Amino acid sequence: MTTETTKMTARSVQVFYGDNHAIKDVDVDILDNTVTAFIGPSGCGKSTFLRCLNRMNDTIDICRVQGEILMQGENIYDPRVDPVQLRAKVGMVFQKPNPFPKSIYDNVAYGPKIHGLTRSKAELDEVVEKSLRRAALWAEVKDRLHAPGTGLSGGQQQRLCIARAIATNPEVLLMDEPCSALDPIATAQVEELIDELRTQFAVVIVTHSMQQAARVSQRTAFFHLGNLVEYGETGQIFTTPRDPRTESYITGRIG
Amino acid sequence: MSLLAQDTRTKRRNAAERRFRRYGLTAIGISLAALVMLLTSVFSSGLGAFRQTFIHIPITLTESALDKSGTRDPDVMHKVTTIGYARVINAALAQAIADNGIVIDGLTDDDIADTISKEAPAQVRDAVLANPDLVGQTVSFSILANGRVDGYLKGRVSLESAAIDTKISTRQLALADAMQDKGLMSRDFNWAFITAADASDQRPEAAGLGVAILGSLYMMLVVLCLALPLGVAASIYLEEFAPKNRWTDLIEVNIANLAAVPSIVFGILGLAIFINFAGLPQSAPIVGGLVLTLMTLPTIIIATRASLKAVPNSIRDAALGVGASKMQAVFHHVLPLAAPGILTGAILGLAQALGETAPLLLIGMVAFVREYPGAPPEGFFDPASALPVQIYNWTQRADPAFVERASGAIIVLLVFLLVLNATAILLRRRFERRW
Repeated sequence: MTTETTKMTARSVQVFYGDNHAIKDVDVDILDNTVTAFIGPSGCGKSTFLRCLNRMNDTIDICRVQGEILMQGENIYDPRVDPVQLRAKVGMVFQKPNPFPKSIYDNVAYGPKIHGLTRSKAELDEVVEKSLRRAALWAEVKDRLHAPGTGLSGGQQQRLCIARAIATNPEVLLMDEPCSALDPIATAQVEELIDELRTQFAVVIVTHSMQQAARVSQRTAFFHLGNLVEYGETGQIFTTPRDPRTESYITGRIG
Repeated sequence: MSLLAQDTRTKRRNAAERRFRRYGLTAIGISLAALVMLLTSVFSSGLGAFRQTFIHIPITLTESALDKSGTRDPDVMHKVTTIGYARVINAALAQAIADNGIVIDGLTDDDIADTISKEAPAQVRDAVLANPDLVGQTVSFSILANGRVDGYLKGRVSLESAAIDTKISTRQLALADAMQDKGLMSRDFNWAFITAADASDQRPEAAGLGVAILGSLYMMLVVLCLALPLGVAASIYLEEFAPKNRWTDLIEVNIANLAAVPSIVFGILGLAIFINFAGLPQSAPIVGGLVLTLMTLPTIIIATRASLKAVPNSIRDAALGVGASKMQAVFHHVLPLAAPGILTGAILGLAQALGETAPLLLIGMVAFVREYPGAPPEGFFDPASALPVQIYNWTQRADPAFVERASGAIIVLLVFLLVLNATAILLRRRFERRW
């Protein structure tokens, strides 16, 4: 909140799916300790752009990314960058809660294990507990850490996924519509959590709900048909949008 | 229009649905009836093979006939052939008949001798050579009865058929009845059917499945050790790592086609490559196993790819999202979830391979094999038979007793298949996970 350091910088990013030009010339700065919301109608490219930030688009064969995305001055699309290392620094939470069909403990411990972040079982236990506490799930699951993660309710599962993502101690946390599969109570819990999380991470959230964007974010980027139409302070975007398309969207005329 | 009455359209729709249900029930009924008929015919003619007629008599193993040197040295005693033992057994049987007061008009010594299986002297000889100290003693033996006598006790041979049969006479059947009364002859469980080797045309009563079961087992081992790792590795590569392009499409189509290639073609391939080109021995389980591996690979690959496809992408995303490499995502998360499906596919492929006959005929596994193959790994190169081929083989023999053997072998094969399929179902139940 106080710091305004830039965590990631995107410059003239273009994304193509085969012949389809999905993202056109997007420039965005992701600030540290800030929640940045990407809003826009379906198919506008906000999720695609989010997935560029941790190179999840690499898994799609026909997807090509041009331009550069800098993280602390280094282009993450540099051929020398291993996406596996990048994803340890840029965690991700998906639209549908997708815990591994393993125990709650193993879900959270998986990231630290494969990255070799802990040296002993005790240390790993500590990381799991810390992550679950930060994800506001510890109190609910501390007695059944070895029960399957898939047995939790939808909202708990999503918080488990958040715990899993922050267990590797990332610098940026990407969230792709994290509340779209949740009921209002679970949504409120997750939103509260997001607000907590920004004290430690740069959070980027894609959302369909403008109310949610207004509630949780400090910065908002509005995407339309693959273009970044407007990017600025959330308050400013929602009260005095500069672009007529933004205004139409937030007042519900396009979407 | 009242809701209580159906209009014509609704009536027609309901009638169509009832008709369709009846068709379905009929189809199931027909298949069930066919299955019941198949099982009844197999079991009614095959169960007899699991029981065998034995003659229980004390045999005096006279030293003068069996060990002239008196040394009890097995190497020396080897010189006495089964003919020498046959004389001793025949004498013992004649003695036992006389002792029990069985008198049948016109019964000759040859008649009595012919009720004993030609395998019996070998049985006694093996027992004596294994324990030379038996010589000089009188020992109780259960020796095999002749196949015709066995058939009489099982109802296959009757007094009418014996009258026109040169291999058995009504006098011998009367003798069999009398011996049964006196407890000299009975039908007992036939372990030898499962453990013994095949026997020649003249002695169906001694034929067993031991070599065939061992051969099939060795081949299944080869198939399991080769087809499972190869098939799973190929599927993982194709499904998870390979780029989707014209080449992988071509490979995919070819694998699907390979699954449909008639099995005899694989036999010709095996003959050409493994025997003629690579110089591997004929009739050997290793060659059979290799051929069956080729046949089973497409089945396993298709099943594995299907179960890998069934793992939702969200699991892969989740793993990649926390920074797992592609390989870690596959081996830590996707493969365990796909494992039940892979195992089921592998077991069903194995079951298919177990019942396969045609390719084995071409690589010489149809040969008459008396010797058990050795212990693995050398045993893989010894001649052996296989269960389905043994069935085929027995149905070709002249003596009707072999029909019973063949049906019995079918029962054994069905039991093995049942066990494999039950294992597949159990594994799936046990390890299936929801996500």
